[in-house]
Amino acid sequence: MTGFDELEPQTPELVRPYVITKGRGLPDEEQLSLITLVTAVADRQQRPTRLSPEEQSLLELCSAGYLSVAEIAGHTQLPLGVVKILLAALTEGGYLITRPPVQRAPVADREILEEVLNGLRAKFG
Amino acid sequence: MTDYIQNPVLWALLIVVLAAVALIVRQRRAARTLRQEFADLRARHDELENGYAKSVEAAQERADEATKTVLKSAMRTLQGLAAEQQLIVSRLQKKYGESVILQDLLEIDHTNSQFGRRAQSIAVLCDGWLGRQRDVASVYDVVRSAQGRIRHYRRVEILSQVDFGITSRAVEPVALALAEMLDNATSYSSPDTVVEINIRTVPKGICIVVDDAGVGMNDEERARAEKLLSSDRVSGVSRLGNPPQFGFAVIGVLAERFGFEVSVDSTSPYGGVRAVLLLPHDLLTNAPEQKEPTPAAPAVAAPTRGGPEPGPAPSTTVDGLPKRRRKRPMAIVPGSAPTASAPSRSGAETAAIMGAFQRGTQSGRRATPADPAEQSSSTRGASSEGHEFS
Repeated sequence: MTGFDELEPQTPELVRPYVITKGRGLPDEEQLSLITLVTAVADRQQRPTRLSPEEQSLLELCSAGYLSVAEIAGHTQLPLGVVKILLAALTEGGYLITRPPVQRAPVADREILEEVLNGLRAKFG
Repeated sequence: MTDYIQNPVLWALLIVVLAAVALIVRQRRAARTLRQEFADLRARHDELENGYAKSVEAAQERADEATKTVLKSAMRTLQGLAAEQQLIVSRLQKKYGESVILQDLLEIDHTNSQFGRRAQSIAVLCDGWLGRQRDVASVYDVVRSAQGRIRHYRRVEILSQVDFGITSRAVEPVALALAEMLDNATSYSSPDTVVEINIRTVPKGICIVVDDAGVGMNDEERARAEKLLSSDRVSGVSRLGNPPQFGFAVIGVLAERFGFEVSVDSTSPYGGVRAVLLLPHDLLTNAPEQKEPTPAAPAVAAPTRGGPEPGPAPSTTVDGLPKRRRKRPMAIVPGSAPTASAPSRSGAETAAIMGAFQRGTQSGRRATPADPAEQSSSTRGASSEGHEFS
C-alpha cells in the first residue's frame, strides 16, 4: 500500500529539524552570530557516541580549524537557526569553542579626515 | 354368555372401549403430525435465524467496508495535505532559518507531524495508503522520525545507535508503529519522566526497546493489548471504543503486514511497560551513507550579511567545490588550504592567494580582542601626524 506518487517526487525529510535540535531554543545573537568563529576543542580526541549524526558531522567540520557560523551552515543542509542551536549545544557541552568576531574598528572622525586632507593640501597642493 | 350379550352394559362398555381406542389412535396420529410440524417449524426457524444472522453479518461487513472506504479516501486527502504542508514548512524553515520565526516554524512542523501521524494511523486501520515510499534510512533516523511524530518528543531519549539501515519499504511502517509505541509510553507515564529507547543487535535482527516509567498495565489491559497485537484482532475502526484507542491496533496491523514483531509483555526496569519491536533481518540493510545534499536545494541562507569572510558562498558549489561533502571540511586554515583551489586559476596563483589569505586570517585571529583601542589610537596617531605636516 506504499504507493509512490509520481506527481510529487519530493518527499519531506524523515527526521524533522525540531527532533534534531531536541526542542532547544535559539541561542542569543551575542552568543552566536553569523560571523562568530567556531572550532572543535583540540584535546578531545574520542568522539562521544551519544551525539547525533548531525552533531558529529558538525564537530568533524569544525575540527580542521576556525570556521564562521555562516560557513558551517553552508556546509550542511540544515536551516541556519538549527545549525546555530546545535553549535550552541555543542559549545555548552564543551566540544566546541567559539570566538566572537573582531569588533569593527570605529569609523574615523570626519573632522579629523578633513584636517588631514587640509594638511596634505597645504603641504603639497 | 348370551346373558352377557344381552346385557346392555356390556354393549355400552364395548362402545366406550372402541371409542376410546379410536380416540387414542386419532390423538396419536394428531400428536405425530404435530410433532412433525413442530420439527418442521424448528428447522425452518433455525434456517431463518441462520439466514438472519448471516445477513446481519453481511450488512455489518458491508457497513464496515463502506466506513473503511470512506475513511480511507478521506484520510488519503488529509495525508496528502499534511505531507504538502510539511514540504511548505520545510521550505519556510530554510528560507527564514536566520530569523526568530524559525522557532515558531519548528512548532508548526511538530504539530503537523502529529496530525499526519493520526491520519496515517486511521488509514492503516482501513487498509489504506501509508504515505510515500521513503529511501533507505538508518535505524537511528527512523527512531528519531518516530520520536518527532508524538507530542512529548522531548521526553524521549535514544541511548544507543547501531550501524544498520532499514529497507525503504519498511521505513514508514516501522516509524509509524514505533511512534504509536512511544505515544503510549509517554501518555501513560508521568510528564517528568523520561522514556528510554535502546537499540540492540540480537541474533534474530535488531530490537528497539522502549522503556517507560509509568504505572504499567494491569492484566486486563495486557490481555487486550496482546489480543490487538496478535492476528485474531477485530479489524476495522468501528470497535475501537470512544475515545478510540488506535495504538495497539495500528501496531498489530503494521507488524502483520510488514513482518516485524512487537511485544509488550514485560515490565521495564522503572516499573512501567517495556515494549520491544523486533526487526527481522529481511527488513534490515546496510546503513545508508550520509545524505549528499542536492545542489538544487535553495537551502542554506547565503551568508552575505557583513561577514568578514563570507568566503565561498553556497552558490559557488556549481563549479564543483568540495564544500558540499561533509566529510571533507574546507576550512581555510593551515593544512587544508590547497583543497580549496578554484579551477579557473593556475596552481601557483592559487597558492599565492591562499597563502596571503592564510597569513591574513592567521594574523587577524592571533590579534587580541583589545584591537579596537589600538586601531583607534593608531588613527589618532595618523591625525596628529597630519597636524605636524600642516
